[in-house]
Amino acid sequence: MNASYRFWLRLACLCLGGLPLSWTTASWADRAQAQTPLVVAAALDHQVVAPLLQAFERAYPEIALDYRDLSTLEVDRYARQADPAPDVVISSAMPWQMARVNEGLAQPLNSPEAREWPEWAKWRDEVFGFTFEPIVMAYRLDLAKHMMPPYTHADLHELLITQPELKGRVTTYSPLRSGVGYTLFQQDARYSPRFWDLVAAMGAADVDLQETTRDMLEGLSEGRYWLGYNLLGSYAMVWAQTHPEVMVQVPKDYALVLMRMAFIHRDAPHPLAARQFLNFLLGREGQRILAGKTPLFSVLPEITGPYTAQRLRDQVGDHLYPIPINATLLAFVDPQRRDAFMDRWMREIQILDAAK
Amino acid sequence: MIQVDGTLKTRLALWLLVTFGGLGGFLMIEAYTSAQRDAERAFDSQLQAAALTIAEAIQWQGGEPLVEIPAAALQILATRHQERVFYAILNANGTSITRNMPTIIDPQWRHKASQRPIWRDARIGDTPIRLYGYELDTAGWEAQDPVQIWVGHTLAGRHALASELFERAMTRFAVMVLLAGLLMTLAMRGVLKPLRKLRQLLRQRENDDTQPLHARVPKELLELTETLNSLFARQREGRENLLRFTADASHQIKTPLTGLRSTCELALQSRRPEEWRQALETVNDNATRTSRLAEQLLSLARLRHASSEHERGSFDLVALLRDCVMEWAERATSRNHDLGLAPLPDKAMMVRGEPWSLHELVGNLVDNALRYTPPGTIITLGLQPGVDTVTLIIEDDGPGVPEGLLSRLHQPFERAGRHDAEGSGLGMAIVDSIARQHGAILSLGARSPTGLCVAVRFPLENAT
Repeated sequence: MNASYRFWLRLACLCLGGLPLSWTTASWADRAQAQTPLVVAAALDHQVVAPLLQAFERAYPEIALDYRDLSTLEVDRYARQADPAPDVVISSAMPWQMARVNEGLAQPLNSPEAREWPEWAKWRDEVFGFTFEPIVMAYRLDLAKHMMPPYTHADLHELLITQPELKGRVTTYSPLRSGVGYTLFQQDARYSPRFWDLVAAMGAADVDLQETTRDMLEGLSEGRYWLGYNLLGSYAMVWAQTHPEVMVQVPKDYALVLMRMAFIHRDAPHPLAARQFLNFLLGREGQRILAGKTPLFSVLPEITGPYTAQRLRDQVGDHLYPIPINATLLAFVDPQRRDAFMDRWMREIQILDAAK
Repeated sequence: MIQVDGTLKTRLALWLLVTFGGLGGFLMIEAYTSAQRDAERAFDSQLQAAALTIAEAIQWQGGEPLVEIPAAALQILATRHQERVFYAILNANGTSITRNMPTIIDPQWRHKASQRPIWRDARIGDTPIRLYGYELDTAGWEAQDPVQIWVGHTLAGRHALASELFERAMTRFAVMVLLAGLLMTLAMRGVLKPLRKLRQLLRQRENDDTQPLHARVPKELLELTETLNSLFARQREGRENLLRFTADASHQIKTPLTGLRSTCELALQSRRPEEWRQALETVNDNATRTSRLAEQLLSLARLRHASSEHERGSFDLVALLRDCVMEWAERATSRNHDLGLAPLPDKAMMVRGEPWSLHELVGNLVDNALRYTPPGTIITLGLQPGVDTVTLIIEDDGPGVPEGLLSRLHQPFERAGRHDAEGSGLGMAIVDSIARQHGAILSLGARSPTGLCVAVRFPLENAT
């Protein structure tokens, strides 16, 4: 809806812009033809990424950017089924992005920007992780009045089983309805078997499962929740700046880092514009805007700004663990593995209730 | 004439190049196929490892296989070349338990894989992939159907490894060629060194130096130096012959000249005209003999000089002999002898040569016979046809020549110890030279009871 609104707005602007020069339909048609459309299907809040998109439009006035802000599932369906296909696909649901690239839905990008991109943040030169978003815990100040706020996963587990006040006031992602949430929990489960204790404890505390970080943040601000687990740090940090009642904690034992992955669709109707967009995104200018004007954090080590991977490391230490962009991600989307994981999740989340 | 262009070095280098070219082509093909094979093997074993890792993760619940795809297996499949990875776990009847691979496995492959693990080249869309199928059949508390594990990946890594291996092999080969070339250049230099030294040795020689070469050379060159040495020896001999001939000739001419001078001196002292006349006659005789001597010397010199090929023609020896005898029979010098022809063959005997020099040969032989035999001697000329040859024979019943002198008769100024008869002693030498030029063989023999037999055997033209 947002995107189509923008589209009409741009059309209106174009028309009005053409007015003083010549009031003819011919010139309008010329300009529309001169502009290459570029469809970007993205699971990334338009609001957050707007500075980058504006900079791109300034740099490439000949490209008519059509940015479609969708959910991860919608983006995935769009990439798989839509005809015409989107030019660029951006999503935070890393395993699904990986699966699409593995299926051959992406085309390689051969450019200096792509070549210089860090090895650990790309795969086959086809898909690029271009953000560096830490996964955080967030709590309301109310919580701090009653108990020590959690710093680590163990602290969180301890709080959940010892503090009855938290019952009904805890929130996290729904692994079933959110691809991001599922990915994060899978990765958590890989790092520690005690993760399942945490799930059981959350289940016992009647955890409220949400689809987006925004929903969790709103709940926190409204006072419905005191504690949120596995929120996207990028959104939470911006939120905390304007909502002083919400505190953001990067876990001190380990913090997952999520990367939005972008690729050019194999059947992109406008491959040239798509390549220009991705090069801009991966290039110094795009990354500088990412680091300076968005909370998405730049991956490139040489970029300076408030939001860079390097600065984050300096602040929270070396215990940042990016979810690796490699073939292991494909295991997460394996249907049987997913079923097995969800089975276990369902079992664990009510295991303590059953014990009572 | 030998015609070998270019240097020995380039010839050697060329052969080397051909050898290396042939060998190199063969090596290249070998290197290419073995690089391909090695790369295939290396990556096939990755497929195997991934399949085994997946097999380890298969669990059974109530007789049903359950698999939690291990992330590590996918990472093994992807390799460091970031291949696209595909897997499918199928149960006994071919339906999939879990998969990310499109349905490309046909029942035949499944059947084969049930017997032993198989590798297959396949395609997903336009992308060629390599597949590995493996059947897991394990024991358990309950009856368990076998499970097939199929894994596959794209081929970028294989191609990269194969070309890397191939390039390495090529680099090794190129280095080898360069080193071999360098060594061969040095070796050629070393091998050709004796030749170069020989050349220097020959170049430094004086014009008239006919001494043998003092050089110790490799076996291959030994023959060459020996040939050169024998050439030098022949040259030396030739020179010595020439010097002897010149000395003899001078001596021969000096004798009549001395006679002339003394006759003239005696005549000048006398005042009697009849003595002058006698002296003049002697001078005339002497001068005639001397001029004949000079003529013969000249003709010998001419004969010994390289003969000119173009004057040669083919002619009938029978006719020539007949003409010669007729000519001599009319001369006054033969009036006291019985000069005759033996019966001649009735067909032409064609011989290749210069008619004038053969004429000279016969003339000299007749002249010799007339000059060195007493009057009344019977001199017979004849032709004896052989198989491929024809022999010219001239024999007389004169006193003959002692056995020991026969072999020396053809040398210049040799008169079989007889200095009484007037003659230059060049006749037989001239005959010998002419005979040699015509490829004929001169032989002298005694005739029984007395006399000399001279035979010249000519090769017949077009003799088969």
